Amino acid sequence: MRVFPIVLSGWLWLLPIVAMADDDSLHFPARETDRENTEPRELIIRGALDVPQFEPVLEDFHQRYPDIDLHYRNFSTLALHQHFLDDDTGTDVVISSAMPWQYRLANDGHGRALDSPEAMAWPDWARWRDELFAVTFEPIVMVYHETLTQRFDHIENHDDLLSLLEDEREALQGRVVTYDPARSGAGYTYAIEESQLSPRYWELIAAFGDVNADLVGTTGEMLEGLADGEYLIGYNLLGSYARDFVRDHPQLTVVIPDDYALVVQRPVFMAKHAPNPRTAELFLNYLLSEAGQRVLAERTSLGAVHPALDGDGTASALRKRLGDALRPIRLGPGLLATLDDLKREALLSRWNREYQRQRNDED
Amino acid sequence: MKAPDSLFRRLLLWLLLPLLALGALMLVQAYLDARRTADRAFDRLLEASSQAIAEQVQWQDERLWLDLPPAALEMLATDAEERVFYALYDDDGEFITGNARLPGDPRSDDISGEAMYYDDVQWQDLALRQGVRRTRLEDWRQREGFEVRVAHTREGRERLTWRLFLGNMAYIGAMAVLAIAVLLLAVRSALRPLTRLRRAIRRRDPRTLAPLELPLPRELAELRETLNELLARMRRVRANQERFIGDASHQLRTPLAGLSARAELALRQDNPEVWRAALQAMQTTSASTARLAVQLLSLTRLNNPEATPELSALDLNDIARQAVRNAWNRCHRDGIDIGVDVCDSPVTIDGIDWQLEEALSNLIDNAGRYGATHITVRVNATPPELVVEDNGPGIPAEQRLLVLRPFHRGEESGDGSGLGLAIVDGIARTHGARLRLDDARHESGLCVTLRFPAPTPTETKQ
Repeated sequence: MRVFPIVLSGWLWLLPIVAMADDDSLHFPARETDRENTEPRELIIRGALDVPQFEPVLEDFHQRYPDIDLHYRNFSTLALHQHFLDDDTGTDVVISSAMPWQYRLANDGHGRALDSPEAMAWPDWARWRDELFAVTFEPIVMVYHETLTQRFDHIENHDDLLSLLEDEREALQGRVVTYDPARSGAGYTYAIEESQLSPRYWELIAAFGDVNADLVGTTGEMLEGLADGEYLIGYNLLGSYARDFVRDHPQLTVVIPDDYALVVQRPVFMAKHAPNPRTAELFLNYLLSEAGQRVLAERTSLGAVHPALDGDGTASALRKRLGDALRPIRLGPGLLATLDDLKREALLSRWNREYQRQRNDED
Repeated sequence: MKAPDSLFRRLLLWLLLPLLALGALMLVQAYLDARRTADRAFDRLLEASSQAIAEQVQWQDERLWLDLPPAALEMLATDAEERVFYALYDDDGEFITGNARLPGDPRSDDISGEAMYYDDVQWQDLALRQGVRRTRLEDWRQREGFEVRVAHTREGRERLTWRLFLGNMAYIGAMAVLAIAVLLLAVRSALRPLTRLRRAIRRRDPRTLAPLELPLPRELAELRETLNELLARMRRVRANQERFIGDASHQLRTPLAGLSARAELALRQDNPEVWRAALQAMQTTSASTARLAVQLLSLTRLNNPEATPELSALDLNDIARQAVRNAWNRCHRDGIDIGVDVCDSPVTIDGIDWQLEEALSNLIDNAGRYGATHITVRVNATPPELVVEDNGPGIPAEQRLLVLRPFHRGEESGDGSGLGLAIVDGIARTHGARLRLDDARHESGLCVTLRFPAPTPTETKQ
């Protein structure tokens, strides 16, 4: 196991991606109930999902089962991964947007199978075996500032963006922002998926390099910069966070590209050595049930997957609007390739090469 | 043990047991086959996947480099959504990349060649099937060897194994049902002649002793022949009995008719002298008739196979002396010279004294009746024998067997009943002794020898 820490250490410096300050944990203490003689129950959820985003779901669940002492703690994706590997007996349920890492844990047998009716009814494209369930539906979006539309055309898709970047090179110098794939696990995941999805992806990266696009670590940073007017265009933002943010910042517009849009789904699984498997099952069943999904759809911007729901904020509604353009990242062994160290090195070096291509040509 | 033993059950048991054992063996074989087939099918995936990975291995930046194709892993996952693992190792067994540290190919370098190595391995509580491909870079300058190790869980294989096995099991099950049905029919039809034989015997008139006539398979035909032989013997026995009864009634009727005629004749007279003479004659006749009846009785008793006489140790010398003493008066009256010649020491055998005395008295009586004037009763010690020798006319050798039959008499009919020798023969049989008729030693005459089996040694000591 000599190499393993090295493998991880390669990722460790990515830790502060979604790091949050103090409000990283949530605790719903068990309340007295009419039902007596019930054993005190506990549920420990660890996730990479911001507390404000997750709170409505946990609150609703706790109202249904007030006798459960519910703990939630938010980590960054990689910290969560490491935390779980260090001690997999202190966690009941793990939810994270880092699909490859979640998949890897499940693949290595850290998950526990769930064979409830809710699990059986869950759509095949959003699950892996009976262990890993993708419960949210979050498209990756572009966000632009209103100034952009005052000066230029609307952008609806990648083609528009590429044309705009190439046509308005001078005007957009330093006014574009996107993920730095070397610093952000999410950015890296999108990069590797997109590079496989579109042959013109590398042209886009070259165009980014051309306008000296800023590379940042989190969606939050991008949104702040856009709100300030520092950036005009943000590329590959996590749609769920952007939607929330834009509600309070009317100068910003969210665009889900209509040619193709990656969709991130947060996989959730029960730990094999969960200390409270019963309550973990309860929670998972709730999360997969229509009621739980309705809370996700109506009170959060995470997006619901449940096929019976088709209102605003559900996968069905998005699909109806965008059709085939939506490309959910497939929950399958291909994700393991994403995590391959050599693969990562190769992709990053290509990415850097493309990003610096124009500049080198000029030199 | 409670149920009575049955041929049907025994046959069925011994045919079914091997059949079932064979069936079980076939099931095991079918399972192993199914497993092997499933492994072969799924091992192809390991081979293809490792091939796809191996093709992406290059030499870059002075080291082995892999651009992992996601399709290679997707391929391994199969429909069963297997857990998949892969690893790339260099020639020295150093881990280059992968998501699990899988064990390598234990074969030595020279054997391996390009052949894939498959193995069932255990990785962190998971049962995996792994394939190892050992190959090298196809580059002019760089021919670095490396190992691609891929593995996945066994669920898909187990599912396929089970499906194949179920198919085979249905087939084997159908075969078993068919075999058992045929077996039942075969055993039943093989046992049918037995039923036929039983019915034929049951249907028979209980009085008839005619041989059984019915076609049977060889094994049962032998039984039928044996049965027929028994029946033939019984027929002969019954014929003998019928003849005996006929002879006996004839023998009894003659003196009775004589008595009746004599009485009638005497009653026509008034002379008491004549009555007296008639009564005297009638007394003689009735006495001899009574003796005949006694002899018939004892012959019947001797021939009764159910009777088991109790033998006791006795001395032949005593028997001979007693017999001579009993016969003495009558012989003396008839002018017959009778003598006894006994051994010095007791000759002990197991026997019944009254029967032996009866035999001797019959022989002495016979001899006297047929005109012997000199009778010797002798006892021999080794082997124990009773011998009665006379100087009468003797019996020609060719008739000696016939005279042993009841109611057979020598050529000139005396007033004997013809039962004497038959009775002696019966007594000899009861004692397990051999009855021999010979010519007398010195003159004409008969020598009858009863040779007894030697007594058991313990009894001799007593």
